Amino acid sequence: MRRLPAGGLIDRSQTLHFTFDGEMMTGHPGDTLASALLAGGRHLVARSLKYHRPRGIMSAGLEEPSAMVTVRDETGSTPNLKVTEVPLREGLQVSSQNALPSLEKDRAAALGLMGKTISAGFYYKTFMWPQGAWHQRFARLIRQAAGHGKVDPSPDPALYDKRRKSCDVLVIGSGPAGLSAAVTAAQSGATVILMEQDHVLGGSLLSSDATLQGLSAQDWAEDAEEALRVLSNVTVMPRTLAFGQYDHGLVQAVETLPEGSSCQAVFWKIRAKRILLAAGAIERPLVFPGNDRPGIMLAGAVRSYIRRFAVAPGRSAVVAVADPQERADTVAALREAGISIAADLPAGARLLATQGKRHLTGLAWRDAQGRKQRTPCDLLAMSAGWMPTAHLFAQMGERLSFSDQTQSLLPPETDGPLRPIGGARAVLDSADCIADGKAAAHQAMAELEMHKHLNLSRPSPAPASAEVFAAGKGKAFVDFQNDVTRDDVALAQREGYRDVELTKRYTTLGMGSDQGKTSWTNGVLEIAALSGREAAEIGHTTYRPPYSPVSLGALVGAGTGMQMTPILRTPFHSGFEKLGCVFQTSGDWLYSRYFPQPGETMAQAIEREARAVRSSLGCVDMSTLGKIDVQGSDALEFLSRLYCNNFAAIKPGRLRYALMLREDGYVFDDGTIACLGAEHFLVTATTANAGSVWRHMQKCAQVEWPELDVSLTDVSDHWASLAIAGPNARKLLEALGPDFEASRQAFPFAAVREGQLDGLPARVFSVSFSGELSYEINVPAGFAEALLARVMERGAEWNITPYGLETLDVLRIEKGHLSVGTEIDGRRTPGDLGMGGMVSKKKDFLGRALLQRPGLQAEGREQLVGLVPEDGSTIIPYAAHLSDSELDAKGCAATIGHLTAAIESPSLGHPIALGFLRDGRNRIGDVLWAHSPVAGASVRVRVTAPCFYDPEGERLHG
Amino acid sequence: MGYSAFSILGHALTANKHWQAAVGTPEMRTSYDVVIIGGGGHGLATAYYLAQEHGITNVAVLEAGWIGGGNTARNTTIVRSDYLLNSSFRLKDFALRLWADLSRDLNFNLMYEPRGYVDLAHSDGELEHFTLRANAMRLGGAEASILTGDALQERVPELDMASPKRFPIAGALVQEAGGVVRHDAVAWGFARKASQAGIHVFQNCPVTGIEVRGGKLQAIETPKGRIACGKALISVAGASTQVAALAGLELPLNSVNVQAFVTEPVKPALDTVVNYNAGYSYVSQTSKGEFVLGGATDGYSSFARRGSFERIEDVLARALQMFPFLSRLRLMRHWSGIADIPMDGNAILGPTPVEGLMINAGWGYAGFKATPAVGHQMAALLATGQLPELLQPFAYERFALGAEQDDAGAGPYPWLH
Amino acid sequence: MLLIPCPHCGLREESEFTYGGPCRDLPALDGQSDAGTWSQAFHMGKNPRGPLRELWYHSSGCEAWIEVTRDTASHEIIPGGQT
Repeated sequence: MRRLPAGGLIDRSQTLHFTFDGEMMTGHPGDTLASALLAGGRHLVARSLKYHRPRGIMSAGLEEPSAMVTVRDETGSTPNLKVTEVPLREGLQVSSQNALPSLEKDRAAALGLMGKTISAGFYYKTFMWPQGAWHQRFARLIRQAAGHGKVDPSPDPALYDKRRKSCDVLVIGSGPAGLSAAVTAAQSGATVILMEQDHVLGGSLLSSDATLQGLSAQDWAEDAEEALRVLSNVTVMPRTLAFGQYDHGLVQAVETLPEGSSCQAVFWKIRAKRILLAAGAIERPLVFPGNDRPGIMLAGAVRSYIRRFAVAPGRSAVVAVADPQERADTVAALREAGISIAADLPAGARLLATQGKRHLTGLAWRDAQGRKQRTPCDLLAMSAGWMPTAHLFAQMGERLSFSDQTQSLLPPETDGPLRPIGGARAVLDSADCIADGKAAAHQAMAELEMHKHLNLSRPSPAPASAEVFAAGKGKAFVDFQNDVTRDDVALAQREGYRDVELTKRYTTLGMGSDQGKTSWTNGVLEIAALSGREAAEIGHTTYRPPYSPVSLGALVGAGTGMQMTPILRTPFHSGFEKLGCVFQTSGDWLYSRYFPQPGETMAQAIEREARAVRSSLGCVDMSTLGKIDVQGSDALEFLSRLYCNNFAAIKPGRLRYALMLREDGYVFDDGTIACLGAEHFLVTATTANAGSVWRHMQKCAQVEWPELDVSLTDVSDHWASLAIAGPNARKLLEALGPDFEASRQAFPFAAVREGQLDGLPARVFSVSFSGELSYEINVPAGFAEALLARVMERGAEWNITPYGLETLDVLRIEKGHLSVGTEIDGRRTPGDLGMGGMVSKKKDFLGRALLQRPGLQAEGREQLVGLVPEDGSTIIPYAAHLSDSELDAKGCAATIGHLTAAIESPSLGHPIALGFLRDGRNRIGDVLWAHSPVAGASVRVRVTAPCFYDPEGERLHG
Repeated sequence: MGYSAFSILGHALTANKHWQAAVGTPEMRTSYDVVIIGGGGHGLATAYYLAQEHGITNVAVLEAGWIGGGNTARNTTIVRSDYLLNSSFRLKDFALRLWADLSRDLNFNLMYEPRGYVDLAHSDGELEHFTLRANAMRLGGAEASILTGDALQERVPELDMASPKRFPIAGALVQEAGGVVRHDAVAWGFARKASQAGIHVFQNCPVTGIEVRGGKLQAIETPKGRIACGKALISVAGASTQVAALAGLELPLNSVNVQAFVTEPVKPALDTVVNYNAGYSYVSQTSKGEFVLGGATDGYSSFARRGSFERIEDVLARALQMFPFLSRLRLMRHWSGIADIPMDGNAILGPTPVEGLMINAGWGYAGFKATPAVGHQMAALLATGQLPELLQPFAYERFALGAEQDDAGAGPYPWLH
Repeated sequence: MLLIPCPHCGLREESEFTYGGPCRDLPALDGQSDAGTWSQAFHMGKNPRGPLRELWYHSSGCEAWIEVTRDTASHEIIPGGQT
C-alpha cells in the first residue's frame, strides 16, 4: 500500500470500492480515481495512441494527457475520462483503453518498433494505391487503431438541465487568488459567483505547506470559504467547470452534481460584468528521451498526491525541477512521505534516457561535468516551470505573448470583461496571489462604480528559473496524448509545415482531448529552437473552447426527443382526436392529416374525403394560416405597397386574393386581404410563411415606411378557423344560424361577414382553396370545440366529412392552386405562376423594380403547367423531371422542368400533375417525358393548363 | 522524391532527415503571368491545374496567413453533389469525380472516403422533394437513391429510427459517392504539386493593393513588393469583400459565421455521413475517431470567427435524435469560419468588371466539396480567357440581370442560406 | 451569444431576436427607380469588417425592429453608433 498513515484531505473512516480492469481496488472519499489507483500501487493505466507505449499518471489535474480510461457506473460507460478528473465513487468499474489483450501485454506495442516509418504525417504519403484502396482497406485499419476508448451504444438514461445566472463579478478558480478576489468583491457588496472545477475549494492551497497570514494554507482557504458562505450575495459553485468565454461577458460552465442527485449535470450560462480568471497555472514537463514512462510525474502532482491525497507515488525518487524553491519544496514533500531521494538533479544536468518496461526503474543522466550517471528510481518528479491557464482569456481571440522572463505565454493587460489573476498571469507565490486577487477585485469594483479607486499595486509575474535541464537524443515526447515527439516537430519544420498552425496540424501536436495543456508551450519552444527563431515570434494556435471536454448530454439538457422544440396544436386538435384524426408533424405544427374510417388505408380515406367535398360537404382546419389585423388611415396604402396586385377599389365586406413579392421581385407569399372597414383589413399569410410575413410587415411599417399611419396585430392565434366546403356549404352555413344574410346574392364569393352564428361570435370568409363553394368560419379560439360540434352536428344532414391536409392538397392540385414550398419555391415570378396579369402597372410596390430585370422578364422561363398521362391512365411518378427525350443508355436525360405535385385525381378519375416547364405556356398540347429514375418510371405526359377542375370557377359560387 | 511506402521506409532508415519541404520558399519576382490571391484549397487547386492542364507555371499564389488556413481548415470535410439546380449539381458532381482520383494525381493521400452521404427527410412531403433532387442527380449522370424504413436502417445501422422524435425520420436521400476528404491534406497536396511544378506559393503575404488603370488590372501590391500581372484571381472566401474592395469592386454578399465542433476521439462507431435536415445537423466520424458536427450559419454578419453557442446546442439536440449514444461523448473543441454568402446563396465565379481580374467567391459553407472542380475550371478560364460552361451560371452580373441560382429558394437574405 | 440593446427592453439575449440584415437605404416606392438603381442599393456592398449598421427584430420580446451598430470583427456593440 502506498497510502500514507496520516494527513491529506481524505476520509479514512469510509472505504470505497472500485475495479480497474476487473481487479478490485479501494479508496476513500476525497480521492480521485488517480489518487486511489496510485494508492493501490498502480501507475500503468493506459497505452499511448500511436506507439502503444505504457503510460501512467503524470499530473493531478485536467491537464492529464495520458491517463484516460473508460468508467462504467449505473448510467453506462463513458470513455476517455482522465483518471485525475473523476472523483472516486463506490462501485465504479474502470477499464483501460486502446490495449489488446491487456495493458500489460499490448500486442500493438510492436508498432513502437516501426518507429520512424510512422512519424508525423506518414499517412499522407502512402496508402494511395490502387484507386479506392485507402477507403476500402487502409482507412479501416487506421480508424481502428485511432480513437482511444469505445462509445457505449446504449441510450444515456442520465438527466441534464440548463440554467442561467448573472452577477457583478464571476471568479473562476478558488485557489489563493480566486478566494481572495471573491472575498474582496463580495465584502464590497458585489454579487459574486465563485466557480471551482474541483469538489473542494482551495486549488493549489490544498497541496501547499505555505503559511499564509499566520495560518496553514488549508486553514486560510477554509477561513476564506467561511467568509463567503456567510454572505448572501455570494454563490459558491464547486464541481463546476467554466469551459469557455463568449461574447459580452458570457461564461459557460458545466456543473457536475453530486452522486445521488436526480440530475447528472447542469449547463450554466452566466453573464458577468467582470470575470476574474483565477484558473491557476499548469506545470510544464521536461522533454527528454523516454520522458513518458509510468512513474514520471510532474513535481506539483507529486506534492499534491502526497499532501492532499496522502499517497506516496513511489519509493525512490529522482527530482528534476528547474525552479530552486519548487525543487526544495518537492524534496520536502517526498521526505514527508518517506520517499527516498535517489537523486536531486542539479540544474544543467542532461537527461539521457529512462529505463523500465512498464514502470520507471532508472534514469540515465549526465551531470554538468559531463559524467554519465545511472540512477535507479521508481519515481521522477519533473518540472520545467509553469504555464498560466489563460485559455478562457485567449478564447476570445486575444493573443498571448511569449515572455522570456516567465518562459510562458502570458495574457496582456486588457480592459475587456475578463481579467486573468494569480497563476493565470504567472503570479505563482500564494501570498502574491492573494494580493493579486484583492487588487484585481478592487479594480473591478471601481470600474463598476461600486467602490472607490484604491489603485492597489499588483504583483509581477514570477520569473522562470534561469536553470534548465538539457536532454539527450532519442524519442522525447512533446505531446504525450498524441505521441508527438521532438523528431516529429523537427520533421514538420523540415517539410515546410513551419507556421505553428501547420506544425500543429501536420504533427497533431496539441490536438488531443487535453488540448495541448502540457504540450503547447514545449511545442513553441521546440519550434523556436529548431528554426532558430525567438519563441515570441512563433506565436500560438487559436485557443478554442471548451477548456476541458464537457458532456454533450449536458449541453443539450432536456431538449431531446419530443422535447427538442415545441409542437403547435390548433384549437381543433382535441375535437379532431375524437373524430379519429391521424396527425402529422410538419414544421412547427401538428396537422390533421386524414380521418380514416375503420379498415381504411390513407389513400382510401383521401379518396373518400375528396369525393365528399366535391359532391356534398366537408370541413377542414385552416387555423394555421397567418392572420394579421391591419388598421389605420394608411392601411390601404400600406397593403398596396406590400402586394403586387391592384385592389385600390376594395370595399368593406369584400376580400381579394393577393400576391406578395420579395424585394427582388420573386413571389414571397399569397393570401387574402379582407376589408373589414375603410381603415381596417385582415390579411392572411400561408402557414409556412406566417412568421416571416408578419416580420416583413412589421419591418415595412416600422423601418421602411414609418410615415404611414398603420398598426398591425398578429391575430393568428386568436382565431380558430374551420373551412366548410362543398356544394352544400351554404346550406350548412345557413343552418348554423347566422345573424347575417348568407344567400348567394347577399354573401357572394370573395366576401367577409362579421356577426354571430347562433350566438357564436364569428367572421366568415367566402374563399376557396378546394374550388368548391366554401366558407372559412373564424371564431375566437376558445369557441373552436363549440363550432366544430355544431358543424358536425348540423352538417350531418349532408353527411359532412372532416378532411385533412392530404385531401386539401389533392383538391388544390385539381384546381391548380399554389402551395408554398412546391410551386411558390422562392424562385418564381408572378408570370411563372401564371399570374403575370395580376401585377399592377399603375402603382409602385415592393419588388416592382427588380421584377423588371431582364432575367425575370425573359421569354421561355419555366412556367407552371398541368400534365396528364398521354394514354389517359398511367400513373405519373411524383418528383419526376420533364424532358423532350427518352433516357439515354446511361439513364440520363436533359431536363426542361420538373413536377411539383402528382396525384391520381379522385374527381377526374385519372392521374394529373403540376409542374414547371420551360416555356410551358407555349407548349400546351405537347407530349413530353416525365422521368423518375428513383421510381424506375418514365411516362409520356401531355402538357395542359394548370387547372384541371372547373376552370371557369363556377362551382365557387354554389 | 515521390511519396510512397518505399520512400517512407527509405527515409526512416536515414532518420527522416532528408525529406524535402513540401512547399518551397521562393524569391518573389516582379511580375507573373497569373497571380492567385488566396492560398486555400481553391486558390491552390487553381494553381495546380494551371500547371497541370495548361502548362502555365509563372504563377504566384499569395496567402495572407498559412496555406489552407481559412475555410479549408474549418469545414466538416464532407463532399457530395446532391443539389437540385443543374448548375450547382454539375459543378459539385464534377468535383466528386475529381476527388476519386486526386490522391494519386497529387501523390498525396487526401484520404477521400466515399462512405456515403445520407440526408434525412422528416415528412413525406420532404421526402418527395428529396426524390426530386435524387432524380435530378440520376438524370444528370450521378448515382443517388431514396431509402426508407428497414432499408434505411440497414444502410445506417447506427441510426436510431425507433424512439419518438420531434421530427421523425421519413426516409433519406443517399449518395454513396459522398463522403469525407481530409481537409488539410487538400491544401497541402495541391500546394506541394504546384510548388514542384515551379509555381511560387507565398505565405504570410497579404495583398495590400490591386492596381487598376482604365478598367484593366495592372498589378498586385504586397509588403514583399509590387507584382505586375495581366491576370489575377481573387479566391479568398471570408475576406472576399475586403480584397475585392482593393480593386474598387463591390460584391453582393454578406459574411456570416459558421461553426463546427468535434467530440473526443473514440473507436469507430459511425460509418456514414448523416444529415438531419430539419434545422441541419451533419455528423460524421473522422479517421482520428472524433465525431465532427456542423449545422447552419449563425445567421448574422460576422468576421469574428466566433459564434453563438446556441447554434451548437441546436445541432447537438438534432444529432442526439439520430444517435442518442452521442450523449455520453464529450465536446472537445468548437470553432468557426467566415462564410461569404451571396444574395442567392450560390458562388460568384468568373470575370469581374475589372479586365483581367477574376473572382471565385461566395461559397459560403459549401466550398470545400467543390475545390478541385473550381480549381480546374478557374484554371481553364485564366489560361484560355474563355468562360467554361460550368461556370457560366455563376456570373458576377447575375444579380443585376436577374439570373439567380437559389438552390434553397431562401431569397436575397444571405444570413438565411 | 450577443447581448443586444433594445431601446424598450434593455440588454437582451440574442436568442430573443431575429436578424434583419444590414440597414439599406432603398429607393422610395415612387415609381421612378429602375432595376439597376434597386439592384445597386439592395444587392451590393454593406459587408464591412468593422462597424455595421444593422437591423434586429425583437421577435420574442417587444416586436420592435431596432437599429444596432455592431463591429462585425469584435461583436462589440457601439452605443449610438453610426457609420
